[in-house]
Amino acid sequence: MQYARSMVAASLDPLIAISSEGKIIEYNQAFANMTGVSLDALKGTEFLNYFNKSKNARGFLKAINAREEVIDVALNLKDQANKTIKVLINSSALKDENDTIIGAIIVAKDITEQNKISAELTEAIVFAEMATAVAEEAKIKADEARRIAEAAVKSKQQFLSNMSHEIRTPMNAIVGFTKVLLKTDLSPKQKEYLAAIKTSGDALIVLINDILDLSKVDAGKMVFEEIPFKISNSVSAMLHLFELKAQEKNLSLEKEYDQRIPEVLLGDPIRLHQIILNLVGNAVKFTSKGFIGIRIQMLEEDHEKVLIEFTVRDTGIGISEEKIPYIFENFQQATSDTSRIFGGTGLGLAIVKQLVEAQGGKVKVESKQDQGSTFQFSLHFKKTRQEALPETIIPKSDTTIKNAKILVVEDIPLNQLLMRTILDDFGFECDIAVNGKIAVEKVQSKAYDIILMDLQMPEMNGFEASIYIRKKLNMQIPIIALTADVTTADLSKCKAAGMNDYISKPLDEKVLKNKIMFYLAKSAMKKQNAPIKKGEKKYINLQYLIQRTKSDPLLMTEMISLYLGQTKSLIKDMKESFQNKKWKELKAIAHKMIPSFSIVGMGIEYELLAKNLLEHAGKQDKKVEIENSVKELEKVLNYACQELEIEMNLLNKMK
Amino acid sequence: MSDDNKIKIFLVDDDVVYLKMLEIEFLNQGDFIVETFSSGKLCLENLRNQPDVIILDYLLDGIDKNAWNGIDTLDKIKAVNPGVPVIILSQQDKIEVAVDCMHHKALDYVVKSETAFVRLQKIIKDIMEFQKMKNKLGWYMERM
Repeated sequence: MQYARSMVAASLDPLIAISSEGKIIEYNQAFANMTGVSLDALKGTEFLNYFNKSKNARGFLKAINAREEVIDVALNLKDQANKTIKVLINSSALKDENDTIIGAIIVAKDITEQNKISAELTEAIVFAEMATAVAEEAKIKADEARRIAEAAVKSKQQFLSNMSHEIRTPMNAIVGFTKVLLKTDLSPKQKEYLAAIKTSGDALIVLINDILDLSKVDAGKMVFEEIPFKISNSVSAMLHLFELKAQEKNLSLEKEYDQRIPEVLLGDPIRLHQIILNLVGNAVKFTSKGFIGIRIQMLEEDHEKVLIEFTVRDTGIGISEEKIPYIFENFQQATSDTSRIFGGTGLGLAIVKQLVEAQGGKVKVESKQDQGSTFQFSLHFKKTRQEALPETIIPKSDTTIKNAKILVVEDIPLNQLLMRTILDDFGFECDIAVNGKIAVEKVQSKAYDIILMDLQMPEMNGFEASIYIRKKLNMQIPIIALTADVTTADLSKCKAAGMNDYISKPLDEKVLKNKIMFYLAKSAMKKQNAPIKKGEKKYINLQYLIQRTKSDPLLMTEMISLYLGQTKSLIKDMKESFQNKKWKELKAIAHKMIPSFSIVGMGIEYELLAKNLLEHAGKQDKKVEIENSVKELEKVLNYACQELEIEMNLLNKMK
Repeated sequence: MSDDNKIKIFLVDDDVVYLKMLEIEFLNQGDFIVETFSSGKLCLENLRNQPDVIILDYLLDGIDKNAWNGIDTLDKIKAVNPGVPVIILSQQDKIEVAVDCMHHKALDYVVKSETAFVRLQKIIKDIMEFQKMKNKLGWYMERM
């Protein structure tokens, strides 16, 4: 007991033993210190008297008697000076030999300090939270500011883009009509003035397109395609554009092409054109004597890609050293005089830089004033086994195709008039639909050979109309997009919508005509492709029939089936009468054949075979000739019948 | 134009392709009723349908040796209805053939060529004009 008493006395926390009635039996110095009551005076006093809210304390006493332990109960102890001390009470029961509770041992730990720290902590947390809120608010403000700034940039871009777009449409009409006008009878003066209008218009369109391109790169909307193309053809075609200009200025245009470069590569030919066009264009513009050199070299090659370096060198005015860092910025030219002397907008190199860098390349420039400049960039191209896409323009214009029916889908009246003027000029029949919806209706009621489709239209735009024609109507009629905005993104959208090709505005009449011819020829070829091998000669031409029957499929099939029936029996009769040497009959057969050649559009050379037969049949000295004629006629007529059967099948499907 | 005002033409040719082509050409014009026959016999059998003009191929027996030729058919038509104008179509541009046709009272002789249809049209128009005048004249003569 003495031992226990010493332990109690040694504790720094107040320790008290009480009886089950609540009288203090044992205590230590720490408790006396806490209460401020002297050691001796404490003994036998009511434990509960030392608490502020004796109610809470009584409950605690009850709990002690009922249970064995009390853990961490917070109570308010009051000292002699009536000051409240927060304590945390822990106690365990005090039992006699019979295990009856006779009191409790209590530890009362002063938690004033702890509470203070905890209060401080809480306060700190509150402050921290407030600070966070302030920070967040600041962030929201910053975000808002950034959003506004971005929106401002975006709306600037949008404005530029919209403006350019809006300007481009009337510009296209101006240039288009100027071209039409230039073809009419004009006095030399008038011609000169119109040429000036056209040059200015072209220049404006170039500027507008440049702005649009830049705003696209800025907006991250520029998409680069990977399509198989022939890089050497691409480059040659571009240089070809400058030949005349170089000649005029008496510059030599030298091309150096690395023959090791694979013929077909994957890349974006349109963008490559644009880059080289700008660089070579500048070279020609800023050089008055000497030469322009274009070198295309393969730097690296592995099994999947090649690195190709393009170098454009000129002997022109050059760029001073301090100006070089600025030349790639928008609307910058090397000197402020530059645009006055040489014209141009200062967007060309900015576009070059953007286009090259967006494809992971870098543009380098070396230049010495008055000696010339060298621009260099290198790009990676993937290798491919695919064949290059066919050149869309077939330069030969096939005059045999006439009476083509073309549907022009265009909402702007000026452009409608322009298209009609040009197409009339070509001798094509043309209908106008003012939007996609009307176009869709028209293609269902009339057979068109080609649709020229504007993209931006009210009601139903060009993409939607094309998808409708391909998917819903299941029609394979060639659709050529008319777009003022030739970017690869648009092109792939056109392709995805099922369009076959595009023509950029302002319309180049030659391109338009060639493309129309190409697709007319292609669909004509498709029609008779099946058993006749590709590229083989075609014997029939249904133009005459189409014209005569006004394309009525019913009448055409009637005509063709009559022809097939009659011709097949004529071929048989011809063979028989030739074998049996019945010359008179052979003559009669030849005679009967003759009118049909022109009806199915077979060439005069075949008609001559029949005429030959008519003339010579029965003549002893012409035996070989007769035999040849019979054999040849049999062959070509059989071919013609085959072709006509295919045509008839197609017509039957159309009915 | 109602059918009453239309000109009824008989086309006779054993070349069914050419026959059809000609039919299409005439029908395209809109003011003709066309009946086509691939032999002279068929044409004669339908003469009661009262054609205004008959266009007859010269060589109808080229393949079918038993068929009537153009001249035979012409004679038979004239025997039944001497007033109906008959135009002979032929591939041969030969004076003998043309004269032969005229002797057999053909109204005209047209060579099958690119311009054949235009010529036929012109001849038919003239015939109709002529007949109108003739009818008018007849009417006045009667009055007098």
